[in-house]
Amino acid sequence: MASKAALERALGVALTTGGDFAEIFWEDTRKTRMNLIDGKIENYEAGREHGAGVRVYRELESAYVYTNDTSEAGLCAAARAAADAIGANRGEERPVSLVRSVAANAHVIRELPLDVPGSAKARLLHDVYSAAKAESPLIAQVSAQVIGRDTDVIIANSEGRMVADRRVYTRLAVNAVASENGENQTGFSGPGAQRGFEFFRETIDPEAEARNAARTALTMLRAEHCPAGTMPVIIDGGFGGVIFHEACGHSLEATSVAFGNSEFCGKLGQKIASDCVTAIDDGTIPGEWGSINIDDEGTPTTRLVLIENGVLKNYMIDRLNSRRMHMPITGSARRESYCYAPTSRMRNTFIAPGSDDEEEIIRTAGNALYARQMGGGSVNPATGEFNFSVAEGYLIRDGKIDRPVRGATLIGKGGEVLMRIDRVGRKMWMAQGMCGSQSGSVCVNVGQPMIRVTSITVGGR
Amino acid sequence: MDRQAFIDKLFARAQSEGFEAYEVYCVKGDSFDVSVFGGEIVDYTVSESMGLGFRALSGGKMGYASTQALDDDAVEFLIDGVKDSAAFIENDDPQFIYGGGEEYAAVENYSPALADVEPAQKIALARELEKAALAQDPRIQRVDGCSVMTEASECVIRNSRGLNLISHTNVALAYVAPVAEEDGRVNVGMKFQMEQEFDALDAQGIAKAAVEKALSGLAAEQPASRTCAIAFQNLAAASLLGVFASIFSAEAAQKGLSLLKGREGEAIASAAVTIVDDPHRPHSVASKPFDGEGVPTRKKNVVEKGVLKTLLHNLTTAAKQGVATTGNAARGYASAVGVAPTNFYIAPSEENVEAMLARMGEGFLITEISGLHAGANQISGDFSLLAKGYAVHDGKKAEAVKQITVAGNFFEVLKDVVAVASDLEFGLPGGCLVGSPTVWVKALSVAGK
Repeated sequence: MASKAALERALGVALTTGGDFAEIFWEDTRKTRMNLIDGKIENYEAGREHGAGVRVYRELESAYVYTNDTSEAGLCAAARAAADAIGANRGEERPVSLVRSVAANAHVIRELPLDVPGSAKARLLHDVYSAAKAESPLIAQVSAQVIGRDTDVIIANSEGRMVADRRVYTRLAVNAVASENGENQTGFSGPGAQRGFEFFRETIDPEAEARNAARTALTMLRAEHCPAGTMPVIIDGGFGGVIFHEACGHSLEATSVAFGNSEFCGKLGQKIASDCVTAIDDGTIPGEWGSINIDDEGTPTTRLVLIENGVLKNYMIDRLNSRRMHMPITGSARRESYCYAPTSRMRNTFIAPGSDDEEEIIRTAGNALYARQMGGGSVNPATGEFNFSVAEGYLIRDGKIDRPVRGATLIGKGGEVLMRIDRVGRKMWMAQGMCGSQSGSVCVNVGQPMIRVTSITVGGR
Repeated sequence: MDRQAFIDKLFARAQSEGFEAYEVYCVKGDSFDVSVFGGEIVDYTVSESMGLGFRALSGGKMGYASTQALDDDAVEFLIDGVKDSAAFIENDDPQFIYGGGEEYAAVENYSPALADVEPAQKIALARELEKAALAQDPRIQRVDGCSVMTEASECVIRNSRGLNLISHTNVALAYVAPVAEEDGRVNVGMKFQMEQEFDALDAQGIAKAAVEKALSGLAAEQPASRTCAIAFQNLAAASLLGVFASIFSAEAAQKGLSLLKGREGEAIASAAVTIVDDPHRPHSVASKPFDGEGVPTRKKNVVEKGVLKTLLHNLTTAAKQGVATTGNAARGYASAVGVAPTNFYIAPSEENVEAMLARMGEGFLITEISGLHAGANQISGDFSLLAKGYAVHDGKKAEAVKQITVAGNFFEVLKDVVAVASDLEFGLPGGCLVGSPTVWVKALSVAGK
């Protein structure tokens, strides 16, 4: 653990060249990963990541220096390098006195993933493999992976705050490949949580997850190519929420908004979505993959309403961008690790449940695409142009699910899609993902009930 | 403790544990990254990082563990980690700790002068780059990213069979993404330049090219859906090849994750396609004298005039198939040995792009594809990607197009390549470097209005 005295000293050094704020993010992470392919345990790796990053602000300029050397000398050297980047004239070390605190942990962890014996992990992976294989002889390959992560962080800053937090993550990932006549199709499932290994017994059914992955692969193996064109699209709940994440969420992060590079700049209080859309970014939900106790600047997490009945209510704002935007911080500053300076990021982001009946949504859709499982996607916030892939899709003919289709991609502009949502279902659920952006790859949940968009460009062949 | 002392201590413990063989793979990196916006530094990140991977053969199984902290706890963490790891591995593939014995090529991929460039020079270049972009045209009001970066890394492999290797590489990169705005239309252009010598970075040249891209796409419209000829511009073609590079891995093939399994010697592409893996390309950050297992690297044609000559191998995949390794073992300090290309590219022809488009006649020239991490599936070969570019009419580049998707199957695309042009370029690094000239594909589905 980093000592209070060493952190105080390094913060003092960081402010010797005119900086007005300094922060240290100290991290020690133990990771475990076991993966299975072809019915055999292929790799089992333990790893330890360790380092610290020092950040200094002077007004709107900031410098970040990180290192593996977390001794007092190492922290001071990093602090000096950051200070030198901010200003040329070295003055006196500023005395900083820290008050220690520990973040309240909202997540109940019973079986630490690093302590669970390899035999239990191997059994889980074998069970998952057998369940997926048993779906059909056409399931040619199954790979499965279980990961665990246990991170201690300490965040200290020149305002005297020193807060420790522990973060434990557990996740299973299953990939199934169905194969026939020289063609392959795939299915995926990846449930995860801020829980211990008990997650696999108490919360999810790993074998059911495996069967779902296998079924997607099998369905897509028999699917035709999705026709190209513009049509109504129904997107199912759960990972379907990636549409909001890409089409809108990234464009509400200060990373884009503070620089004028978002189509939603200057639109607070204005209508940016249809009336049936309320969207929330919530870091407070116990046990969820995208939750945080404190953000990576040490600020307690929040539940933030982004859009209420179509009206834009809030942006997600970190400390540095709050200076740029003259708006308060929202407890959503995040980073992958000490190797990144934090910035505004999403947590558990979802469209809130609406009042529409799911059967009616399909029945009244006419001819449409039904995206039952989504893949990933991306967006350019400056233009709002997004794309994402449909992992399991069906054509709807005259309000009835007609046949599966493969290879569909949805493209469009975030602002346009939000205004074209005409139905929001009643049952909301979430799914887990890794979101990559400026401050690295962070755990997020996406979620929504079933929604319908009156028209989207569908890429197919 | 210092790395040398740590490895000595670790090896002494490893010997007393009775491991059959063991190896350290250590990567040390220095990076510098400055971004400016409106002349101000908005991001400035400097790092020194180190990671050490340890692997050991125990009962014929290879255990792995890694650490970024080199303290006494870490020695025991690594020893316990590899023992635990080896105890649960069920895969029976032959495992190797390479003892050396072959010659290593001298690879030019490190510039001592670059190591001496001061932060102030890099900041000045970033500011110059943003200024140059903003000065090009009144429709450019801001940038969506303007950075100068340098990176240096050192890789060390030391093992119980006497191997003790070290290699260095460094690189400098500058990029700018100007935002063009006119009548409510917004378009972002991006151009980067990657060099081993800092002085070769040309702020004016980068800014000019980026602004041209931003402006030329401003008037873009969404065209109607159709199936037609597609020319993927060099960097777009490189992105596509890069995302499907894993199909050439023998490891993927042996696990049933590549449809190229067992197809060596067959024509898998049109005769216009030759794909090269060249680990000795001068001044490339992806060049290396030895691979992730310490085996000497060599240049080879993976596809030659359409025929699959070899998949990419490491010692394990080669032994399983009874062939020699191609020197393509790849790993990070924290990951097990896999397979990856180095400088991987489609060989160019003699024909310039204009002449090729003239022959193509009608279709689209695709300059940018996005959503590769989601819209392309290496296992099936299917892709459906957001794209932008230009229509091609009467053999000439015509109006700009956007908001289209291009969809197809990569294995079919390889067979449907009509021609490749002469304009070979390499994309941004991501473990390896992937390059391509502009590639003309007979027909693909384009979705638009």
